[in-house]
Amino acid sequence: MRKFFLLLAPAVLAIAVPVLSQTASTSPSGPSPFPLQPAIEKELAAKASNVTEVTLGKNMLGFAAKFMDGKDADDVATRQLIQGLDGIYVRDYEFDKDGEYSPDDVDKLRQYFETSEWTPIVREREKKSGESTDVMMKMVNGASQGMFILSAEPRELSIVLILGPIRMDQLGALKGLGGLSALGNVDQSVKKKDKADQTPKEGGTQ
Amino acid sequence: MRRLGWVAWLVPVLLIVLVVPAVVLARSGGAGFDGVVGSIESRYHTHATRIPFLCLMSLVARKATSGGVSAVHIAEFDHFTAKVDGDELNRMVEEKLGQGWERIIRETSRRGGEQTLIFARPEGDRMGLFVLDLDGNEMDVVQVSVDPDRLNGTINRYDRGDREHGDASD
Repeated sequence: MRKFFLLLAPAVLAIAVPVLSQTASTSPSGPSPFPLQPAIEKELAAKASNVTEVTLGKNMLGFAAKFMDGKDADDVATRQLIQGLDGIYVRDYEFDKDGEYSPDDVDKLRQYFETSEWTPIVREREKKSGESTDVMMKMVNGASQGMFILSAEPRELSIVLILGPIRMDQLGALKGLGGLSALGNVDQSVKKKDKADQTPKEGGTQ
Repeated sequence: MRRLGWVAWLVPVLLIVLVVPAVVLARSGGAGFDGVVGSIESRYHTHATRIPFLCLMSLVARKATSGGVSAVHIAEFDHFTAKVDGDELNRMVEEKLGQGWERIIRETSRRGGEQTLIFARPEGDRMGLFVLDLDGNEMDVVQVSVDPDRLNGTINRYDRGDREHGDASD
């Protein structure tokens, strides 16, 4: 009888373990590939009334590129741009009242990108409205390998992070993707900034 | 007598072998689309409205889009009044959907009345899309399999038709 149970035990385990492990499976998408500290994300999300997150990893971008049929010249350019990217991450936090997030929260976000790899290219501060915009480029061996955009308004905080090789003149092509409509404006801001660099500086843009 | 002793032991053991997995599976509500719907039903004490003849509709969608859209699954929760914690809902959907699914869009409101989750999964040349949308008192859960090339072809066909129709009316 004992032998019988010894033989039966593995059979019971063989059936029960896969079933139990299936139900106890962890999150399939694993940890977020968005390189910001989860603590900052959680903190902001807890204060915000609405949170929008767009996470497109390399695999998803490769697949999204298939949706561009490639006949149109713009589509070809967008497809090439998307295929080369490592990820596009958008976070948008909307708040009910002014001052629900602190300037420290924004500084924490900025500090994350204050390394030698990231170069600030646009820094705009409007004292009257309290709005600010930061655009930073990740430069590796003289080539741009990423872009970080932080737009802070009294009731809205938007973060766009694009990882991978990207050219400023291609940015406008991405504005058709969900959550990235602001990129068309950034493209214009950078062009404006280039013009301003050639002429004497004016206003709050640095 | 000795034989009867065997049987007496065998029956409970067989019951355990058969019942334990069945109970665990029933509790978890399976995996994938049905698992998510089952979990929502049990967590929020609500029932999904099943769409009659959905298989037929899926077949029609597949034909109409030349294979662009297939494997349509739809569940609708009317009068959804439960308070939803966005993090909990997201965790539950991630766990039930299983391996391979990546969340690409999440929109959540603190008060819980609006939640949107969009997951995608490459399926060979196709892409699986799972959408959960809660807006006020209605929650819709949809899963489809999309062929980007064929769907593009269908969209372009309608686009061209619209343009030609617009030109003609001008």
